[in-house]
Amino acid sequence: MNFSLSEDHTVLRDAAADFLRDQVDLAPLLVPGADAQQAPYDALWAKLCELGWPAMAVPEAHGGLGMSEIDVAIVLRECGRTLAPTPLLGTLAGTWALLAAGSPEQQTLWLPQVAEAGLRMALATAPASGDAGAADADVMATLHADGSYRLSGSSHFVIDAPGAQLLVVAAMLDGAKRLFLVQGEADGIETEWLAWRDITRQVAHVHVKDAVGDLMPGDWDSTWPTLRNRLHLALAAESAGGLQAVLDDTTAYVKERVAFGRPIGAYQSIKHGLADMLAQTECTQTAVLYAAWAQSQDERTATLASAMAQAYASEAYRDATHRSIQMFGAIGFTWEMKNHLYFKRARANAEWLGSAAEQRELIARTLETAHATPH
Amino acid sequence: MDFDLPAEDDPRRLEVRAWLQANPKPGYALLFDQGYTVPHWPRPWGLGANPELQLIIDDELARAGIRAPHHKNPVPINNCGQSLLRHGTPEQQERFLKPALACEEVWCMLFSEPSAGSDVGALRTTARREGDHYVIRGQKMWTSLADKAQIGVLVARTDPSAPKHAGLSQFLVDMKSPGITIRPIADMSGESGEYNEVFFDDVIVPADRLLGKEGDGWKLSMQQLQTERVALSRPGAIWGSGPSARELVDGLVAAGRFKNPLVRDEAVGLWIEGEILRLLALRSLSDRMNARESGPEGAVRKMVAAPHGQRVLDLAKRSQGVAGLVKNRDVLPMTQAERGPFSNWDHAFWWSPAVTLGVGTQEVLKNVVAERVLGLPREKDPTRHTPFNQIGKAQPTQKEAA
Ligand SMILES: Cc1cc2nc3c(=O)[nH]c(=O)nc-3n(C[C@H](O)[C@H](O)[C@H](O)COP(=O)(O)OP(=O)(O)OC[C@H]3O[C@@H](n4cnc5c(N)ncnc54)[C@H](O)[C@@H]3O)c2cc1C
Repeated sequence: MNFSLSEDHTVLRDAAADFLRDQVDLAPLLVPGADAQQAPYDALWAKLCELGWPAMAVPEAHGGLGMSEIDVAIVLRECGRTLAPTPLLGTLAGTWALLAAGSPEQQTLWLPQVAEAGLRMALATAPASGDAGAADADVMATLHADGSYRLSGSSHFVIDAPGAQLLVVAAMLDGAKRLFLVQGEADGIETEWLAWRDITRQVAHVHVKDAVGDLMPGDWDSTWPTLRNRLHLALAAESAGGLQAVLDDTTAYVKERVAFGRPIGAYQSIKHGLADMLAQTECTQTAVLYAAWAQSQDERTATLASAMAQAYASEAYRDATHRSIQMFGAIGFTWEMKNHLYFKRARANAEWLGSAAEQRELIARTLETAHATPH
Repeated sequence: MDFDLPAEDDPRRLEVRAWLQANPKPGYALLFDQGYTVPHWPRPWGLGANPELQLIIDDELARAGIRAPHHKNPVPINNCGQSLLRHGTPEQQERFLKPALACEEVWCMLFSEPSAGSDVGALRTTARREGDHYVIRGQKMWTSLADKAQIGVLVARTDPSAPKHAGLSQFLVDMKSPGITIRPIADMSGESGEYNEVFFDDVIVPADRLLGKEGDGWKLSMQQLQTERVALSRPGAIWGSGPSARELVDGLVAAGRFKNPLVRDEAVGLWIEGEILRLLALRSLSDRMNARESGPEGAVRKMVAAPHGQRVLDLAKRSQGVAGLVKNRDVLPMTQAERGPFSNWDHAFWWSPAVTLGVGTQEVLKNVVAERVLGLPREKDPTRHTPFNQIGKAQPTQKEAA
């Protein structure tokens, strides 16, 4: 048993933190009325590529770094802490989909491009309901006489779709949900930007019209749980970092802001609120590390741990960002402060893969199954 | 990183298990001789064990159905005994440690008073030096185990002219001394004798029972309240033991109540929190083993664990419906199945309000976390630097102040 971060982990964490502290500039987003188009996505991505971050989750055999889920969670935590506007999440999601469902040929073709050239990816699986894990999709796939698959329809709420060079698109084929690779520049692709409230992230609907898709062999029912577990971990890791940032910023502020002759941090309701926030931050971070480790174990452990991390993180992050605005007072409610960016990211992270209650339901079913099968 | 606990075939585990097989009902004296009472203490008292070995020993004792010694004699094992190791004279160590750790002498902790609970430094019990002994006068409250104890760890004021925290000292008091009166206080769980009032009427305590130096009382008390030995890996709800959220979920599933969507969601929420508490304990354990400075998770864990335990018991109680309000449910026309899985949690539920009070209240704990970990400004105690016997005198009366 060993629960502590290793030397390598802390080096990675500190390097990521230093880099992002220097490079992430949220100033353009703190101008009233700014939207995600102002987020410095492309510039930051170019720098991340120089550091080799897109190669993180790509196995060494495909030219990547083959880093563990723990390493990835550590980096994502730092991204979440700084709200780094980059297509990293979409690219990781695409990479994981390729690894889970792609053929050896598909992997050999695309993964080295992700690792070496920073090929941007996005995962498009949700129908109009927004349920990324739904059994159905609003895209239809048909097999043409020339042996190619053609996709038509729409995929919704796709994170990092604008600018994605390769999309993993879920479509219905003969009544079953399947995954296809679609090139971002292909004919028949239209990206409809969404005025997503979390402006640190670029999100779009993707409309496809007779676009060519390359069928991935992995079937949906076995691919989705793996993918979902990794996505739960990714969001929870981001949220853990966000919580830490909100805690640190709020703690610093209440030591400085004076009211009635004392720093407001001397007042107990503020103190107790921050003590709770600290507890939630520690709990989230612990759950994230455990979920990251659990992904190297069996599927049941991974499912329980990842859903647990995401359910807990969603609610903790929401509470903390709300409290933080309250503790800053009215200044915390202005567009010029960062508080709302965290508040909105917290909301977005809590909804993108379904609510915390849905993750708890997943846990409930997993526990029931365990109960039904004697161990 | 690796979250697996020491495996079933870990040689250290096998060794403990073999010993327990050879000594199936060991008794506290034998457990102590074997080093299993305080394995984390240095020899000859313990084994100088690292936290992982301590965890293994705890695990194996629990698995063998042995009630851990710290339940029998919590005060020296969890809180006060280490003060003797650090600050006691060789004679004191010789006289007190073995009987305490072997549970031959039970101890109690005489800190709280009617006018000094959270603010222990405000206590009024005095210890006046007269030649080779001290004379104790005053009243203590909420003293758990006072009626069963041979030895009491007493905090009393030796210098009333010093500021409140500076004038305190600690003593190891014979609870059978003349002048001590013990009265049980009935608590709301209906179980009397959980704790007591203790009156000291000119009780004589020999000077060699002073622990540390005169004036060390506050420092020692703070150390003792912090050195609580935590149950390491249990997801347990109450003070590291008691029913856990895992057991709650198991019970609800078995009783067919897990299907109710409201109960289900709440129970899984508690299950998640219980798991995280278990992981927090492992994190501190691991940090200690890797000689890393441990983060704030120790204090955080205590802060989260107490209300968590209360909520676990609360949901269990609610799942019993109206029948859960009857003390002796055997009289109800119910089958064992209808009685449900939580029948023996009844006392724990009615007792659970104590968990956010004892050993320091939830509010005071949050203050400590906010001040020590986050560095927020300290609570102001206007009496902190005033000589104790001047407190109240120099201050305006309420009328004048108004
Ligand atoms: C089961 C049990 C066993 C116990 N066993 C022992 C024992 O063996 N030996 C012993 O010495 N004592 C024992 N105690 C006493 C326990 O330590 C005290 O009850 C506790 O420290 C609180 O003190 P109090 O009850 O006087 O409450 P008070 O200190 O009067 O507190 C009343 C309320 O005021 C709040 N409060 C007080 N100060 C502050 C502050 N600065 N900021 C915010 N809120 C504040 C408290 O949180 C609480 O809500 C036991 C208590 C229980 C319940």
